[in-house]
Parts: sequence; C-alpha cells; structure tokens
Amino acid sequence: MKHVIIVRYAEIFLKGKNRGYFERVFVMNMEKALRGIRHEIRRASGRYLVEGFDEEQTEEVVSRLRKVFGTHSLSVAYVVPSEREEIVAAAKLVCRPQGTFKVETHRADKTYPMNSMEFSAWLGGELLEAYPHLRVDVHAPQFTVYADIRENGVTMLFSEFLPGAGGMPVGTAGKGLLLISGGIDSPVAGHMIAKRGMKLSCLHFHSYPYTNPQALEKVKDLVRELTPYNGGDTKMYVVKVTHIQESIHKHCAEEYMVTLLRRFMMRIAERVALREGYQCLITGESLGQVASQTIEGMTSSNAVIESLPVLRPLCGFDKNEIIERSRAIGTYDTSILPYEDCCTVFLPKFPVTKPKMQDVLAEEGKLDVEGLIAEAMESMEILEL
Amino acid sequence: MIYLDNAATTKPNARALDEARAYLTERYFNPSALYREGFELHLELKAAREHILSCLADPAAFELIFTSCGTEADNQAIFSFARRGNAVTTSGEHAAVANPFAELKSRGVEPRFAPLNADGSVNAEKLLDLIDDKTSFVSVIHVNNETGAINDVNAIAKAVKEKNPRVVFHTDGVQSFGKLPYRIGKDVDLYSLSAHKIGGLKGVGALICKKKLRLSPYLYGGGQEGGLRSGTENVFGIKTLEFAALEKYGGRREKYERMQELRRRFFERLDGSLFVKISSDSSSPYILSLVARGLRGEILLHRVNDRGLLIGTGSACSSNAKKRYSRVILACGVSERDADGVIRLSFSDETTEEELGEAAKILNEEARSLSEDMQ
Repeated sequence: MKHVIIVRYAEIFLKGKNRGYFERVFVMNMEKALRGIRHEIRRASGRYLVEGFDEEQTEEVVSRLRKVFGTHSLSVAYVVPSEREEIVAAAKLVCRPQGTFKVETHRADKTYPMNSMEFSAWLGGELLEAYPHLRVDVHAPQFTVYADIRENGVTMLFSEFLPGAGGMPVGTAGKGLLLISGGIDSPVAGHMIAKRGMKLSCLHFHSYPYTNPQALEKVKDLVRELTPYNGGDTKMYVVKVTHIQESIHKHCAEEYMVTLLRRFMMRIAERVALREGYQCLITGESLGQVASQTIEGMTSSNAVIESLPVLRPLCGFDKNEIIERSRAIGTYDTSILPYEDCCTVFLPKFPVTKPKMQDVLAEEGKLDVEGLIAEAMESMEILEL
Repeated sequence: MIYLDNAATTKPNARALDEARAYLTERYFNPSALYREGFELHLELKAAREHILSCLADPAAFELIFTSCGTEADNQAIFSFARRGNAVTTSGEHAAVANPFAELKSRGVEPRFAPLNADGSVNAEKLLDLIDDKTSFVSVIHVNNETGAINDVNAIAKAVKEKNPRVVFHTDGVQSFGKLPYRIGKDVDLYSLSAHKIGGLKGVGALICKKKLRLSPYLYGGGQEGGLRSGTENVFGIKTLEFAALEKYGGRREKYERMQELRRRFFERLDGSLFVKISSDSSSPYILSLVARGLRGEILLHRVNDRGLLIGTGSACSSNAKKRYSRVILACGVSERDADGVIRLSFSDETTEEELGEAAKILNEEARSLSEDMQ
C-alpha cells in the first residue's frame, strides 16, 4: 500500500498557451518547499502526485505544501492495485469508525468491471460491515470516502480535501520589494502580493544602536516565516538609517520625524529596487492606522517616488482583519515580540497627521538629502534567507 | 576587548580548565559505576564537595549538593521549605528567587516582599516586620546582582530567628561566592552558588544546606547527591568549580580590597556630569551600577560595544514597560527616566587598572557624544 499526496492546482488551469510555464514554476516551488525530504513529484491528469516520502513525514510534507501558492487543495491518499481486497483494506484506513458517510467513486478506467454507482454501493457495504457504528447518508454525510480508479490498474482512496494556499505560483508575476518593519502588517502585505505570484525580496531599515540586534533578528525571523510562501528563499536588504534619524532630530521640527523619515525610506527603497531589478514597492500601510498613514501622509511619502508603483494591499483592512491574517500565516507571534523597530527615543509626542507639502519640503530643505541617502545606501547589507 | 560584565558570567579560569581536562578526556567514567575507575571519581566528587564547602562554612555542620546552576539551587531551596503559611523575601532578588516566590502563591503559600533602600539593599527593619508566627521561609540575596548592595545576611538571619526560630533562612550567594570574604553564619540554613560567576563552567551550581535540614529532591532518578539531585554528575564542570573556588579564596581579603580601590579610582575617572552612581561605597566592589543621565542604557551599551567594551544594562530597548525597566532598580526608588539610563559594570579579580582606564575613557566619550546626538 503506497502513500501519496494529491495536489490539485488553483487558477493555473485558466491559463492557455503559457500554462506549461506556470506549471513548471509551480513544480519548482513544490520541490523547493520539500527540500530535505526524500520525495518524488509526478504529474497526473490535471494534478500532481507527491510520493516516495516516509509515512511518518506525511504531516510535514502536507504542511509544507500547503504554503505553496498555486495549490487549490491536497489529499492524503493510499494507492493500491485495483483488487477488491486491497481496496477494502485501504478504504478502512481512510474511513472513520463512526458517523455518517458516503462513498464517491471516480472511474477513469472504464474497463473496470463495476460502474461508479455499483462500486460505491459495494465499497460502502464493505465499510458498513467493518464498522458497525457507521451509517450511510448520501445527502449530508459527515465524511466521504473517495475512490479514484485509475487507468494504470491502481485505485486511490482518501477522505479529505485540505485547502491549499490558493493563488498563483510565486515567480510568475514578477519581482517586488517589500518594506518590512517588524510589526504585524508588513508580512501580511507581503503574503497577499506573493499569493498573486510575485516573488518578494524584503527591505528593512534599522537604527542601531538605537535599535538592538535582537530587533533585527526578529525581522529576519519574520522574513524566514514568510519564505515558505515565497518560493523557498528570500533576499533581504538591511539599511541603517541611524544618521538620517539623528539629522532629522537635530535640524528639523520634532513633529516631522516620521513624515521625513518615511520619505527617506521610500527614496532608498526605490533606488534599491531599480538597482536590483524589482518592479514595484510593497508596503503594509493601512489607511488611517497611524499618524503617517493618513492620505496626507501617504501623499507626502509617495511624492518622492519617481517611477515604480507602490502596492499597499492592506489599505482597506481594519487592524483586526490584519491580525487575523497574520495569525493564519503564522507571523503574528513573532510580530508582537516587544522589540522596537525605530527606537522611540526619536518619536515625537505629537506627530503631524496631515502634513502640508510645503511644510514638509521646508523641513526637508534643512537636510543634505542626497548625502544622507548615499551614506545609508553604503551601509546596505544583503542577506539570503 | 574589555569585558566588564563579569556579573553575567566570567571567562573560564584557564588553570581550572587545564586541571579539569583529564576528567573530560581520560577519566570520563560514571561516578556511580562500581569498577575502580568510577569509584575513584565518586571519591573525588566527595573531596570537591568538602573543598568548596570549607571555603564558606564548617563541613561538619553543612552539606553541599551539586546542581546544574544557581537557579536550580534557589528553586530547590525555596520549594523544599516554603511549604506553609507565608514566605518572606526582598524586592531585590534575582529572578531565580523572585519568580519561584511568585509561584508560591499558586501553591498556597503567601509570598511577602520587603522594600529596598536606595542602594538596593533590603530594609532589614521592614523585612522583620513581615515575619510572624506563620512564616516558614525567608530568602535574602547576599549581594544584589544589579547594584552590588550587600545584605548582612548573618545578622538578618539572626534577627529573623529571634523573631521566629522555626524559619528556614536561605541566601542567594551567586554574586558573593568567591568574591566577598564571608563565612556562612550559624543562623543561615541554605546558600546557593554558581560556578560560572567565578571562572568555573556554565551548567554547574551548588546548594549548601545545614545538615539537620531535610531538603526535598527536585529531580527524581538514579539517586545521585544522596537522592537529592538525581542525574549523572557533571564531573568536569564540578572540577572547574572546585579549582576556581580554591583559587578565588586564596588571599580573598586582599583581592577584595584591591577591587575596592580599583572601583573607586575607576569611578573617579568617569565624568560626574554624565554618570551618577547607584551603588553605594559599601557595596560589593565587583559591581558598579550607574545612571547615564538622560540617556538610554542600551543605546550606550551598543555604542561602547562597537568600541570593544562589553558592559551590562539595567534596562532594555523594549516597548513593553515590564521588560524595559529593571524591577530591582525601580524598587531602589530610581525614577523611570533614570532607570532607562542604568548601566552595570562588573569586574573580576583579573580586571586590570589599564582596562578600567580605557573603559572610563570610552564611556565618557560615547556618553558625551550620545547626549549631543540626542539634544
């Protein structure tokens, strides 16, 4: 009796002539997700079969595959020769000992002596005999035993459709640069865009020694947690903005700290993106969530962007919706660790919420913008996570 | 690199490592084994126990059990004897005592915390006020690990027992062992210590206990340490503790006085407009707790770190207020603003005058430049 995982893909089937490309990327991403586990991925009509792993590793394989975008659903199945005794033995393993159920049969092998209805009735009967506490309910069963009789003389039996991550294979929709802070929002924003097939790299700003190495490590952990959704590897850029913050603090009005800092961050982000070949910037901004995320705040930070689109997928979400997603992705617990992203020593008590462009420009005019950016770019480190 | 965080851990004593090496490479046997090689180790552990004990107390009146760390020794002491009524401790304890005390509540024992004086020592009068007929256990830290304040535990224990002779008295000696010239007084029942604070290895501690008292085991198993601490003994680690301790206690008073002098001169070199002392002059000379005025301790820590100076801090760059300020520093009556700026420098007998001179220079320069950046 063989153990396999059936992987059904999501939107890829909508693709026409370049479907082959989408599928190749999808398989490559599955391969990367399963790195370190012995396995084989086989294509079978309209889906993939993952096999050859140790039975004890089934759960690990399933949980890794569930993070690969492009997956619609997965089932853990037993594969047996299409012999009655073997089919019954496998069906008993996927069947629960009690509750209401039905058998659903898919017969690809039209030469099989029973038709689907007859087969379902027969297998249902065998299961009822094996488990006296079972009852049949074909309309609203508590669970279903699926039998798939294949052309090559084998039958697959399973009872569950586990939802996959959905979306499109990462790498099929270009490359984007995610500004990641260490909070709850940015990983969620990244996850949403990766889901549509975009390969992410991350950019983080720190202000050592005002922020500590633990805070940076926390962000690295967040990137590591996003990586399974991002095709198995993520590049991370780390830029030190300490001197920028110190200069703003020294020369500009206190309430413009965040507004000005964000403009610097966006400028640096666009330069990194253009230099490294990213096609857009992604931020975790949510309209009105904090002082700098008002439409005026966004206008001010967006104004420094010269050519790239800035995707802000969370703009329409409430905080609790973001938290919910963060929990589902698995980044929440790391996000809430109490390290600071931009040390609060420089945080103004009353930041401007509706900065006027002329004031912003006047404050910024007090700084050597180009020099500070060049210095920050100089500090950039690149990590592969 | 200048290492001034010796209260966190110390560099292992090279001679102790050399002396103990054979117990790792050749004499790796299980001390419970019945063949000669094993039994010899059993005897060596017995000797080590006596040697360490004799540094501090009369081996005829006390016994010593090896544990995996100071925290384990504290826990075993507390949960062995704080079993009914109330248990009294100070607000200046290390987490290894403070947190077990907080846990006592769920075990039906009322924990009581005595307030501190400004230097971090316990207010002994107020501590005595907390003791009544129902008090079963008292724990007072010997040297405060953040400020270095010394509690006169022998005198406090005596006063406690005069008020309630049935009390079992424990002291956490992790920061005093191998540093203070001290003998365990007759009213102190239990004393915890740790190897890696005096040049021994991490992973070894000990609990010294008056012979007539009955400790309870914390771990059950093969019955090592007289059934009080099961688990195969870390012979190598214990040997490093033994060697390190014997070395520390040779000429203890002279070393202590040398350190007092070094610390005094070090503080004189610091810029008085930038640094204020929390530690009092009578505190352990191995610890100096300071407030860097108007600065954040952790930022200063990173700055001096980049210049090769390693120090400790009493606060962390955390947005969580509970984690940000040291509970002990606040209990000394330091304001939250100053608590943000607390740094802790801690020394060992190996610390040199030159190192301290250089450290003072780095601290002055970095604190000055940081205050300018923050203005």
